[in-house]
Amino acid sequence: MKNLTIRNLSKTYFDPYAGTNVTAVHDVSLNVEQGEFVCIVGPSGCGKTTILNMIAGFLPHTGGDILVGGRPVNGPGPDRGVVFQSFALFPWKTVLENVAFGPKMRGVGKAEREKIAHEYLALAKLTEAAGRYPAELSGGMQQRVGVVRALANEPDVLLMDEPFASVDAQTRMTLQEELTRIWQEKRPTVIFITHDVAEAVFLANRVVALSKGRVLEEIDVDLPRPRSWDALNDDPQFKELTGRVLQLVRSA
Amino acid sequence: MMQHRLSSALWFCAPFVVLLVLWTVLIPYFNVNPRLFPHLGSVIQAGLEGIKDGTLIQHIGASLMRVAVGTVLALLVAIPLGIAMGVSPVVSSFLTPLFRFFSVLAGIAWIPIATLWFGYGFGAITFVIFNAVFFIVTYNTLLGVSTIPLPVRNAAASLGAGKWAMLTEVLLPGALPNIVTGIRTGLGFAWRGLIAAEMIATNVGLGYMLFVARDFYKTEVIVLGMIVIGVLWLLLDRLLLAPLERATIERWGMVQRS
Repeated sequence: MKNLTIRNLSKTYFDPYAGTNVTAVHDVSLNVEQGEFVCIVGPSGCGKTTILNMIAGFLPHTGGDILVGGRPVNGPGPDRGVVFQSFALFPWKTVLENVAFGPKMRGVGKAEREKIAHEYLALAKLTEAAGRYPAELSGGMQQRVGVVRALANEPDVLLMDEPFASVDAQTRMTLQEELTRIWQEKRPTVIFITHDVAEAVFLANRVVALSKGRVLEEIDVDLPRPRSWDALNDDPQFKELTGRVLQLVRSA
Repeated sequence: MMQHRLSSALWFCAPFVVLLVLWTVLIPYFNVNPRLFPHLGSVIQAGLEGIKDGTLIQHIGASLMRVAVGTVLALLVAIPLGIAMGVSPVVSSFLTPLFRFFSVLAGIAWIPIATLWFGYGFGAITFVIFNAVFFIVTYNTLLGVSTIPLPVRNAAASLGAGKWAMLTEVLLPGALPNIVTGIRTGLGFAWRGLIAAEMIATNVGLGYMLFVARDFYKTEVIVLGMIVIGVLWLLLDRLLLAPLERATIERWGMVQRS
């Protein structure tokens, strides 16, 4: 695991409908230390997914630098694991094969990579589902697979793009609690994109509020862990923090 | 499950049984001239004779051989080509209309030019089969690759998949349901094309058997040929192609089970 440095990152693209250049991301700088959990929060269209896609290497950036462990990002790579909003599991592979995919790409032998996959499946309480295909699972379970598939590859940074936005509210709360538990156990470096302020505060060590492609403010969250919704729902500090972030995001 | 299979198979056969009964009753009842339509008995006899003297088996063998060779050759070219084209959105959108056009054209429309190029016989007919399968499978492969969601390809790349792994682990299996559907449709066209081509361009095969029988007013051989053609296709489709399609598409939940 290594740290991630973003310096003066920007993204400009040509909009054929408007006939002009549009800047989606303006001069964003961010430093994420190893083992940190950072949430980038902002309304739709604020550029947060664009930032994530540039870190992942799916989109080229047009200005600034992205460095993982000091090395500049050039296209997608296994040092940056990604969890997608649409899960993006391989429908033709079983749950076990999905999770073992990263190790397989590294050249890990069959027995060893299946052992790794079983270990991570157990972490997300998915042992029972190992032999099933993604289409046979609920959305919540599919995304659990998505998370451990990325983790099983032991990336330096875990990038999560609104991963819980397409599951129902109850499942989402469970997944959030499980994610904090898994994070405490494995301590990966996480960048988590969301438009849900409560989710951001619940999960993060640090919340980065984003609007119109610019960073508004970074807010440290030092709520005690392990975190649970039962404990935090009525917690005054949690309420104060979410209130502050919400105000920031809405006022911009 | 077994019981359900059996009853659905019986139900599938039921209308054919009715047809056979009507046939055995109506043809003698109206005293139909065997030069216009044969009795069931004489068709069965023609079938038994064809098996005994080996001619029927020879015709079937020749037809199936041509289909097998034409199809395998077509798949060997079509699948790699379809994937190569599907990877690039520009290439795939440029070539899609072309392959759509040839998908519709493929089949008997190729017979005249095929006989000019290859002469009468195996080459021309295999070429017709090749075309019927090739264009549809290429088009479907291309379609299959381009329908793999971008996040799925991105996921593979971010998990460390290189070019070769992307091909074998993502593009090929991702396009497989479309490829299998393409093979099923293509073979359907190929089978029709085969019979037509054999009527014109050869001296062995089911189509030839059918066409020659006409010259001798052997309606029992004509009808026998038609039955064999239909039954062979149903067996091929039901026992080979449909299960293959089910195994990929339904298992992976890429299409709703019906």
